[in-house]
Amino acid sequence: MGKNQKMKKLKNKPVPKEEEEKEDVVVVNGDMDSDDGSIPSPVVSDDEEDDDYEGFSDSDGSSKNSDSESGSGSEQSEPSDDEDGENPSIDGGSIDGDDDLNQEDQSAGSDDGLSDGGDSVDSREVVDESDSSEDEVETRNTIGDVPFEWYKEEEHIGYDKAGRKIKKKERMDKLDSFLARTDDSKSWRTIRDELEDEDIEITKEEFKTIRRMLKGKAPHAEFNPHPDYVDWFAWDGAGHPLSNAPEPKRRFIPSKHEAKMVVKYLRAIRKGLITFDKPKEKPRYYNLWVDDPEKPGHGLSYIPAPKPKLPGHEESYNPSQEYIPTQEEINAYQLMFEEDRPKFIPKRFTSLRSVPAYEKSVKEFFERCLDLYLCARARKKRINIDPESLKPKLPSRKDLKPYPTTCYLEYKGHTGPVASICTDPTGQHIASGSHDGTVRIWEVETGRCLKIFELGEPVKHVAWNPVPELPLLAVSMGQDVFVLNTGLEKEEHKMIADLLRVETSTTPDESESAVSSISWSQYVKYDGVRIKHFKTVSSVEWHRKGDYFSTVMPAGDSKAVLIHMLSKKLTQRLPFKLHGIAVSSTFHPSRSIFFVSTKKHVRVYDLLKKKFIKKLEPGVREISSLSVHPGGDNVIVGSRDGKLCWFDMDLSSKPYKILKSHPKDITNVAFHRSYPLFASSSDDGTAYVFHGMVYSDLNQNPLIVPLEILHGHKTVDGRGLLDCKFHPRQPWLFTAGADSVIKLFCH
Amino acid sequence: MPKHYRPAGKKKEGNAARYVTRSQAVKYLQVPLKVFRKLCIFKGVFPRDPKKKVKGNHHTYYHMKDIAFLKHEPLLEKFREMRSYEKKVKKAMSKKNKDLAERLLTRKPTYTLDMLIRERYPKFIDALRDLDDCLTMVHLFAALPAIERESIQPERIHNCRGLSLEWQAYISRTHKLRKAFISVKGIYYQAEVDGQKVTWLTPHALQQVMPPDVDYKIMLTFLEFYETLLGFVNFKLYESINLKYPPILDPRLKALAADLYALTRYVDAKDQTSGTNDEESELRLAQLQDQLPSNEPGALMNLVVNAAFVSEDDEETKACKTLFQNKTFFLGREVPRESLLFVITSFGGVVSWEGDGAPFDESNQDIDYQIVDRPTQSHKFISRDYIQPQWVFDCINARLILPTEDYMVGKVLPPHLSPFVDNEAEGYVPEYADTIKRLQAAARKEILPMPGAEMDDLDNAHLLAEGIIDRAEAKEAAERKRKMAIDEKQFHQELKMEMKGMQQTADTSEIKKTGEEDDADDASPKQLTNNDEDMAMLTMSRKKRGLYNAIQISNQRKKANVDTLEKRKKNLKKNKETSSD
Repeated sequence: MGKNQKMKKLKNKPVPKEEEEKEDVVVVNGDMDSDDGSIPSPVVSDDEEDDDYEGFSDSDGSSKNSDSESGSGSEQSEPSDDEDGENPSIDGGSIDGDDDLNQEDQSAGSDDGLSDGGDSVDSREVVDESDSSEDEVETRNTIGDVPFEWYKEEEHIGYDKAGRKIKKKERMDKLDSFLARTDDSKSWRTIRDELEDEDIEITKEEFKTIRRMLKGKAPHAEFNPHPDYVDWFAWDGAGHPLSNAPEPKRRFIPSKHEAKMVVKYLRAIRKGLITFDKPKEKPRYYNLWVDDPEKPGHGLSYIPAPKPKLPGHEESYNPSQEYIPTQEEINAYQLMFEEDRPKFIPKRFTSLRSVPAYEKSVKEFFERCLDLYLCARARKKRINIDPESLKPKLPSRKDLKPYPTTCYLEYKGHTGPVASICTDPTGQHIASGSHDGTVRIWEVETGRCLKIFELGEPVKHVAWNPVPELPLLAVSMGQDVFVLNTGLEKEEHKMIADLLRVETSTTPDESESAVSSISWSQYVKYDGVRIKHFKTVSSVEWHRKGDYFSTVMPAGDSKAVLIHMLSKKLTQRLPFKLHGIAVSSTFHPSRSIFFVSTKKHVRVYDLLKKKFIKKLEPGVREISSLSVHPGGDNVIVGSRDGKLCWFDMDLSSKPYKILKSHPKDITNVAFHRSYPLFASSSDDGTAYVFHGMVYSDLNQNPLIVPLEILHGHKTVDGRGLLDCKFHPRQPWLFTAGADSVIKLFCH
Repeated sequence: MPKHYRPAGKKKEGNAARYVTRSQAVKYLQVPLKVFRKLCIFKGVFPRDPKKKVKGNHHTYYHMKDIAFLKHEPLLEKFREMRSYEKKVKKAMSKKNKDLAERLLTRKPTYTLDMLIRERYPKFIDALRDLDDCLTMVHLFAALPAIERESIQPERIHNCRGLSLEWQAYISRTHKLRKAFISVKGIYYQAEVDGQKVTWLTPHALQQVMPPDVDYKIMLTFLEFYETLLGFVNFKLYESINLKYPPILDPRLKALAADLYALTRYVDAKDQTSGTNDEESELRLAQLQDQLPSNEPGALMNLVVNAAFVSEDDEETKACKTLFQNKTFFLGREVPRESLLFVITSFGGVVSWEGDGAPFDESNQDIDYQIVDRPTQSHKFISRDYIQPQWVFDCINARLILPTEDYMVGKVLPPHLSPFVDNEAEGYVPEYADTIKRLQAAARKEILPMPGAEMDDLDNAHLLAEGIIDRAEAKEAAERKRKMAIDEKQFHQELKMEMKGMQQTADTSEIKKTGEEDDADDASPKQLTNNDEDMAMLTMSRKKRGLYNAIQISNQRKKANVDTLEKRKKNLKKNKETSSD
């Protein structure tokens, strides 16, 4: 055999060959998609199949040789290859052995391999090729490197050297081949090689090899993966070490690294980082509080946590029977809100031994811990006082008599809520205006209705002229204000008639200085004057001299508050800017000062000097009414949130006292003209009477004592009392209710 | 311009400058929240409520001074050091530098809380004042199992147990226990140390429930502080009775889990020796005094000191000391030994128990009381009483040897009442409290009339004359009187209403005078009294009115509680009567 042939043999190693054949099998079976690993070919088999195969192969041992002889040349060469691998033949084996030796020599580092250098180079080449060129299997087929399917339809497969077509072998049709397979007991281990166009039968040894490979072992049965180590070097009599190099210098001088480490340790020891003797055990505890403390803390006061609550009788393991809630009560707890539910439900145990561990003990202490470090602490004064001592000491009400206490008279006759009442300056009569459109005049002492003015529209406000000689009544109703002659004073009828006469011609002339949109006219139905406004008039108030009166139109903007002069039939607007919607106005009882209340504030003006004096800030939601003390220095203001504010004009612009008495709107407040009394009426159907003493000594604050709550009126449509007025001379209070009754409360 | 506009460069003022939220504080201190929490717990820093909460209502606010106080704490630096140390060890381990890691492990940074305790409690009395939570926690942990998962180490449990027993040994030795109460939650004890009432709760000696929704880290941080605190307090207390601390215990007893007994024995032994020493020295002093001139100051001083030491026990301590004196107890196997041992010895009794290490056994002839907690006792010695454990607790709370009939084995026990309740302030006196009071009075050779006797008596003056005003009863009497007055008033009012109604019916048609003059006068004073309260309320300021209302509400609630109790009692009585009939 030449070298080339040898190479070829080496190339035809059995392992790759098998793989190729496997691939072929795939092709034959037509499973084009499947991979190598999942071949359903007879080769890949279970253990049982293996057993079968062995049984078969034993029986077919004789026929195998004949098969192989009849097979192609390449197949013949395979067993010989096997033989090569297992026990090298004379020609190939020597080279292989050399090769091995060479490699070992090189690994040992000896120079012996130089002598047969050329040969070794050759052999190495051979080995290299055999390792790498497994794909270059020489085939007899000459189709070249083209896809096999190109020849699928053709009769030939490739060409020979002369260029003639190589005919495909006659293929049996399916039935024949199946019959042949069933007949032939060896058919299961024949594989068709499509490329070479031949059937290949796999031998028993080959099967064994494949099986070993499948198990991940070396293909050869005799290959030992863990051979004993053979020490090829002959040690006997060797006087010198393998390397005869002299000892390097570094082995004789002290190590720099070690010196570094020594220094490092030294430093660590000096620093005390490394200690060799254990430190003396200091006693863990000692007397911490020997000397007096130095200045404590950081300036902030330490607030100790409150101590946990001490247990009561109900926490006992064996409480009295009455501490244990009944079953109904326990059920009732379930209906409670979670916060209200009792945290602890008492239980009774008959003996100490039956008491179980409390399941919430850890949880409760944990919550205590959280409280200790997460809860904001603040010092709270614990007040342990009799609640009665909180109440202010008030002078006895008996000493403050007289004041109205009981309902003495009722004036009935109105059919609608009585919006406003007013007493005449002598105190003999009262006038009342109602939503039923009438104004009635009553005799106070008898309760007789003297006169009825039917005006047609709901009356807003009535006001009696403060001069006793002029029995005039100002009535506001819708957009009109009437000044009516009540006809109660007979003698000075002339003067009254003068006052109430309106010359129609003069009105427009004088309107330059006054307000143009106001017209004075004679009221024909009753004896009186009609002053037509441009917006709804809410209230009318007389000046003390009885000539001027003021009207308030809340929607009147800059002309909201007007001052009328009856004698000249003149109208003036208030020469000040009002900040807000006007609610009511009133004159000072003795000086030329004018009070206007807007919804938020009370403004005080000097009419003579035409100056703004003061703004009173009650700080309530909405002012509803206003009254001035007859002394003139104190003002009370009622508000829609039920608060009554007392202002001392000399003291401050803030209230001196706020009385939160009514739960609903205060509709009116009133001072008594001579007695130290004031009252407030409210929509809750009650009137409060207060004692309000103002001292002439400026240093003494006014004394305010609540005296009486007057009940009696019914509430109608959420409205209770609409007005209250004091009798000018007696400590009596008139109240007008939404139930269309006027009541007189006497002392 | 916004409402809270502050020009740039102008410092914050007021609450905005004085208080910071927690997250601000954490940022300011540059520590993780965990460390901040720990510091707060150790330093006793707590949030405070500013008048105006600048950042909103849902934040916790700390005072800036508190935070500055934390910032200057050396412990803060220590925590940082520990953190960096941990990083070093981790790094060494991950680099497989075992050498370095080992060396690092030998010098782990440690810290102590000694100075913090000194800082928080400048005087010993301050520490005693704040000891309640500390004792409760230590006793609780002494009863808990060690859990690796929650890093509750067995050493800490042991330490807690040791500390709690040392405390108990001191209290029982000095007879400072005043009250004890078995509740469902555990056993409450109250001792009086240096005039301070210290109350603590020990859980029942059973397997404790460990809820999962508890952050044990927080509890352990608290425990760390409390352990140190109790250690120092114990040291100081032991020093005050001339004992060495920590005590060295008999290992045999310790092994038998009779630690408390071992401790008490240790304490007693030491005390005896010291006592004999004292006596000796006193003798020698007396001898010396004969020889010395009488005006030698030193000797006198010494004598005075000794006398002072003797008279240090106040009245109450003496009473406590002698309650169970010369009484011998034997504890059954089933009763909580530790608790009873503690209680009985602190009230001067001698105790033994069934089991190993007991000083004497059951057959001892000296035993006066055997405490058992079982349905029946089969073998009985005639010379002793077999009683249930509640007897001991009731006795010490009443400071009286109660008759044992009610507490015998198998009997239904009388109710166990809390000694912490002021019955009179509460407004309800349980029946058994009355019985005990009568017994106490009897012991003091005073005679209290039987409960039924003065029930009918409504006259306060009469009670006064007898010189035994029971506050509650007096109150009751007064209440009855008031009730009668109210009834009377109501009657009058009804009369008046009737009159009015008649008047109203009379004046429907025409307007006429209503009512007679004298009738109005008659009615007015009643109305006066009725309205007086409302009138006074009117002039009260809003603050006071609120306070008044709050007081009224709380009073009502209290009264409602008492009412329910009384109602239940009445029902029970009724049920009993019906069942007996």
